[in-house]
Amino acid sequence: MQYPDHFDVIVVGGGHAGTEAAAAAARMGVKTLLLTQSIETIGQMSCNPAIGGIGKSHLVAEIDAMDGIMARATDRAGIHFKVLNASKGPAVRATRAQADRALYKNAVRDLLEHQDHLHIFQQSVVDFLIDGDQVTGVQTQMGLTFRCHAIVLTTGTFLGGKVHIGTQNHPGGRAGDAPSIALAERLRALPFRVGRLKTGTPPRIDGRTVDFSVMQVQAGDDPRPVMSALGNASDHPRQVDCHITRTNPDTHAVIQANLDRSAMYSGAIEGVGPRYCPSIEDKVVRFADKTAHQIFVEPEGLNTTELYPNGISTSLPFDAQLQFVRSIEGFEHAHISRPGYAIEYDFFDPCDLQYSLQTKALAGLFFAGQINGTTGYEEAGAQGLLAGINAARLVQGKAAWEPRRDEAYIGVMVDDLINLGTSEPYRMFTSRAEFRLRLREDNADQRLTERGAELGVVGAARAAHYQEKMVNLAQLHQTVAQTWVAPGSDLAGALGVTLQKNTELAAILRRPEVSTAALQRAWPEQSLGLLEQVIIETKYAGYIARQDEEIAKIRRHEGMTLPQLMDYADIDGLSNELRQKLAAAQPSTLARAARIPGMTPAALSILLVHAKKQHGQTASSGATELAPSTQPNKVMH
Amino acid sequence: MTDGLQSDLIAAVATAPGQGGIGVVRLSGVGARQVAEQVCGKSLTPRRASFSDFSDGAEVIDQGLVLLFSEGASFTGEEVVELQGHGGPVVLQRLLDLVCSLGARVARPGEFSERAFLNGNIDLAQAEAIADLIASSSVSAARAALRSLQGDFSARVHALEEDLAGLRVLVEACIDFPDEDVDFLEQVQVQQRVDALVELLAALKQQSQQGKILNEGASVALLGAPNAGKSSLLNVLAGEEAAIVTDIPGTTRDLLKVDLVLDGLPLRLVDTAGLRHTTDHVEQIGVARARAQAEHADLLLLLLDLTTLPQPLRRADVEHQLALLLQDVASDAQKILVLNKLDLVDTAPTATNVQDADHAAVAAADRNLWPGFKISAKTGDGIPQLRRGITQALGFEQQEATFTARARHIDALDQAATALQAALSELKLGQSTEIVAEELRSAHLALGEIVGTVTPDDLLGRIFSEFCIGK
Repeated sequence: MQYPDHFDVIVVGGGHAGTEAAAAAARMGVKTLLLTQSIETIGQMSCNPAIGGIGKSHLVAEIDAMDGIMARATDRAGIHFKVLNASKGPAVRATRAQADRALYKNAVRDLLEHQDHLHIFQQSVVDFLIDGDQVTGVQTQMGLTFRCHAIVLTTGTFLGGKVHIGTQNHPGGRAGDAPSIALAERLRALPFRVGRLKTGTPPRIDGRTVDFSVMQVQAGDDPRPVMSALGNASDHPRQVDCHITRTNPDTHAVIQANLDRSAMYSGAIEGVGPRYCPSIEDKVVRFADKTAHQIFVEPEGLNTTELYPNGISTSLPFDAQLQFVRSIEGFEHAHISRPGYAIEYDFFDPCDLQYSLQTKALAGLFFAGQINGTTGYEEAGAQGLLAGINAARLVQGKAAWEPRRDEAYIGVMVDDLINLGTSEPYRMFTSRAEFRLRLREDNADQRLTERGAELGVVGAARAAHYQEKMVNLAQLHQTVAQTWVAPGSDLAGALGVTLQKNTELAAILRRPEVSTAALQRAWPEQSLGLLEQVIIETKYAGYIARQDEEIAKIRRHEGMTLPQLMDYADIDGLSNELRQKLAAAQPSTLARAARIPGMTPAALSILLVHAKKQHGQTASSGATELAPSTQPNKVMH
Repeated sequence: MTDGLQSDLIAAVATAPGQGGIGVVRLSGVGARQVAEQVCGKSLTPRRASFSDFSDGAEVIDQGLVLLFSEGASFTGEEVVELQGHGGPVVLQRLLDLVCSLGARVARPGEFSERAFLNGNIDLAQAEAIADLIASSSVSAARAALRSLQGDFSARVHALEEDLAGLRVLVEACIDFPDEDVDFLEQVQVQQRVDALVELLAALKQQSQQGKILNEGASVALLGAPNAGKSSLLNVLAGEEAAIVTDIPGTTRDLLKVDLVLDGLPLRLVDTAGLRHTTDHVEQIGVARARAQAEHADLLLLLLDLTTLPQPLRRADVEHQLALLLQDVASDAQKILVLNKLDLVDTAPTATNVQDADHAAVAAADRNLWPGFKISAKTGDGIPQLRRGITQALGFEQQEATFTARARHIDALDQAATALQAALSELKLGQSTEIVAEELRSAHLALGEIVGTVTPDDLLGRIFSEFCIGK
């Protein structure tokens, strides 16, 4: 049958990309349907039970700045919070939380169920309805059809998913869940380039069979950080410790002896795994001289004894898993509650997407999450947010939101994916962001919330909270700018500085040894968060100004479009290597071409001239070429 | 932030360096007028040529005509200024340095034409030609720059880039993988490595000989036995009576320096005291200085007196005299053999003669096969050939491409050096890692102008291959 109601946006998949996409579209006021195989697994953390971390927490903060759900759910479910890189600079500080899986899932489902304009339906999608090059709806397993304007597809590892344990394998989207085979076949028939990736998980362990007394204890931070700008540590559930143990030469010997039965090493897996998240087999083989590898023993939740031993993902057969696990200190008597496994799945070359995450081939179809070759909840959630917003914008007949690399990690990620593609599951790192100093957790709201409000994706409560922060921040900046510190004064004492003469407070705040805590001792009436913000902005001001010049140059190049399907083989003066790279990437602007490895200023000049020439041949007048590729987004500081 | 579509200010020497009477530095882009007004110390009117000093505020570098073209009414379509001075590579380089210090950057090959084209001032039909120009001039400029930035410049820049990338790998790993039990770096080690990079860069700049030539002029030392005619040769080359020339051996007791431009190439020609063993105390000092001077020179002119050599020339005799001349002189500079007083021997000094068997024998006097020239400082015979030999030996190529490419490369090295210095001082101040990382990125970005774009993924790839990362 055809479902009687027409939807604006249908989101397929209830993982981290799907939930953010559905919530974002619904926040924008368009009628949204979330279709999932199982309502019970909405917001499921399939891999390790943690949200955030270096680079990733920046994405979470950006989702939060756009009023998304990931950070809020984490504050309701986090049972161990830590700030990584606390001793390093503010730009690279990152919050990470261990989450109780059940609480996290509940929080996500609760937030979705209370979201206006959002409906949820449990049914597997098997096909699209297509009219010309435009999607018009989906068909589910039971033959039900739903009509819509736009579809956001977030199928994670379920497309053509295949689970490997040792030499055995079976189709699966996640251990215990069915894959989406029909949909995978349907998509493979459409003009998308498909690749295979793989990822792995470790065996889970029953905590009652583990000896924690021999392990190193890792406590959460005090004071405890929060994920959401609207969060409060008092919302957090009970907090618990994590533990660290290590593999040893005996462990490595077991793994070496069983390598021929590892799915990864026996050639059963064709997909490419991430370099930064190697299986334990990989670690032992590639870094044979290391005698121990760390294992982070993470709790799965408050009401379960199950543990996630992070660091030993494996596709060895179960008997070898049990043997090597029991060789590890503290795990001598461990009971494995679920075997580790590797999973292979389809992904679609992100180069076939537009910056809005809409596919180039089919109007109205958006892809978000692992389907685009990424890994991680945060990467998925951020894409979901972007796709959800842009699906709604499409329905509303408005221009897409395309955050730039200097505005958001979301912009860095999408640009990397679309411009360069990926050959392994893509994960965010701060080193991917050339404008790292301005893309911080602490200023995500300053970068994005105002824009989010314009787009209509940010609700009234957050907008008001943001406005208030900005007013207070401006006042505090003014106070700092007007304050001079005299030698021997109380303020100098509180800040712990020795001065020769009256000195601007701003100059003192730039010194590396001056801390936020010290400033708060002097000004106890001010909030720690605001003081921190002012210190960070003061410290970074010079670097940010310098980056502005770099950004201005990039924006000039951003405004110069390159023709699609340019024949780079015909262009003289480019090296063969560059020709090949350009032909593969088909960058849409000069700025994107500039980010291709090995690109030189001279090669860019040549491209520019050829682009102008090609534009000139197709355009009727000489004045219309090189129009800015997109409507420039407003920069918010 | 400036308007994204405005073009930044570029500058280049618009005339080929050489003997021309005029040397033009051209500026194009936003702020051209402002920079020119600062250089000229007065306000300018569009389309009106005016005579002006070109000054860096402390010193007048040159004088000449200044011309301002408004935006929309210039060759490139942007605001353009031409500073038309007296030229000469040294002056032009200083002028270019000056405008760059005031906010311009050195233009890429063909960039003026490119802008003209983009602003619709050049016909679409010429697009191909412009692209070819950029392509060929970039290639030849790169080649020429690499060749002229003497020695293994390219290899060294790549080695430097490699070291910098290696250091960034550690710093970035330290930032992105704090959970790992890998000791990526210790503060001291980073400081040492940045220190080493700063030194490498400084050495690289110093060794980019041509850069030095442009700034200071090449140094050419005249070395020869007493009364071999060094001072006469200097006078001939300099075109004036700069040194006292007598028949008495040992007349030149001190060093005599003359700055001159030889076929567009600025030189500092140093006449040394005749190298001989002497008991005269004053002359001894002069000889010692001559040796020191010879050791620091970019080029040595080894002068032998033909009348002291048996005719026809025999290789063994020449070698014997050269060995005497060079004893105690430790120099790996290039050398040219000059056989003077041709007028007093029978052989004719024709151009072809320089290539004849005699010459071949002489040139082979050293296993390095130095070029050799027979001249008469007195009559001027053979001097034009010698002049050409000198400019060739110094590797100077009279190409615009060479000039700007070299300037741009040196510019990039300077920027990298500045960023590395900043990284060093921030390390010493105890600034946090990400600030140091930012300076290292800046340095890498500058080197990228020479070696091409380096992406974060390149660094991540190295991190993953060198360290066992990941849970």
